[in-house]
Amino acid sequence: MAQIVSLAASPRTTTGKGAARQARFQGKVPAVIYGHGRETQSLEVEAKALEKALTGVEPASTIIELAVDGTKTRTLIREIQRHPIRPDIIHVDFYEIHAEEKVKLRVPVHLAGNPDGVRNAGGVLDQVTREVEIEVMPDNIPDRVELDVTALKIGDSLHVRDLNIPNATILTLADLTIATVVPPRAEEVTAPAPEAATEVAEPELIRKVREDEEEGEGAAAGEGGAKPEAKGGTAAPAKGEKTEKVEKPKGGKES
Amino acid sequence: MLAPKRVKFRKRFKGRTKGMATRGNTVAFGHYGLMALEPGWISNRQIEASRVALTREMKRGGKVWIRLFPDKPITKKPAETRMGKGKGNPEGWVAVVKPGRVMFEVEGIAEHLARAALELAAAKLPIKSKFVKREER
Repeated sequence: MAQIVSLAASPRTTTGKGAARQARFQGKVPAVIYGHGRETQSLEVEAKALEKALTGVEPASTIIELAVDGTKTRTLIREIQRHPIRPDIIHVDFYEIHAEEKVKLRVPVHLAGNPDGVRNAGGVLDQVTREVEIEVMPDNIPDRVELDVTALKIGDSLHVRDLNIPNATILTLADLTIATVVPPRAEEVTAPAPEAATEVAEPELIRKVREDEEEGEGAAAGEGGAKPEAKGGTAAPAKGEKTEKVEKPKGGKES
Repeated sequence: MLAPKRVKFRKRFKGRTKGMATRGNTVAFGHYGLMALEPGWISNRQIEASRVALTREMKRGGKVWIRLFPDKPITKKPAETRMGKGKGNPEGWVAVVKPGRVMFEVEGIAEHLARAALELAAAKLPIKSKFVKREER
């Protein structure tokens, strides 16, 4: 069963980036509530209270009992926006739910146990999918989904169809891999790279190269190649480029 | 080393790096990561050096993700050349990084090992970075 956490919020009358920044300066987090046919309402919550409420719970599958002006509403968190560098929360979306209506949400998948392929063969457990989408009645929302991976050998994998979530419909594709045990990496033998390999190999161009351009480039390549020498770089490339510059306007006039 | 196979243009403008990473700023594949704290250009050689340091420290365990790709060509004029006469020749490739970008991710090793390995990888980069963990959502 999902945990239930209480949180107080107050309506927000001002909107926009300036007002949102002001709210954040005052230790508040702009938020919004919507869902279940209700009109979208702008809110703000105390940043510290929000952080405290979300500590030690799975935010996506936790029911938040939101008190707005004394009215309590059961909600789920639909989105948490965080600062790109700092751990600060900058915005929260609350989604209102009702006891008699099914809700769609993403629940986290936790892997339990140490796979056989990791213990005995030195493989690496790779969790490909970390959450699955389910449709469930609010009373049956699971906090998290546990998946036992103890029996997995190297090359084995578990899929969404292996999950068993009581009273819920899994909406994620059944064939999607959740976890797999990959073989250990081979030891890398690092040989010193030869000088030729360090030279920049020019990639192929996607666009069509014009004929006159190709000629100019061909002439330049003939003189200096991809990496012109430092000694000959003063006179020869200058010549090549000069001729190229003279040729270009000609080509333009003709076309 | 990482480099594009095909490009539309051989040379590109220098550009300016403004703002923070709005995408690729969370740990998405592994469990631990290395986040950029400054804007900058990371060359394919630096990415390779970081990768080697990272995988060597992790020995045979774990899995590594490189979430950078050097797709911007960098040009350089030959030595002892006078200014002018057009843009120089392509000399390498860089990835443009904004603050907040998660550059490397690892999984399958303990936190203290991941921290040590990513610290070594960070030492090969020209920008400040920090160790980050996946948010348990």
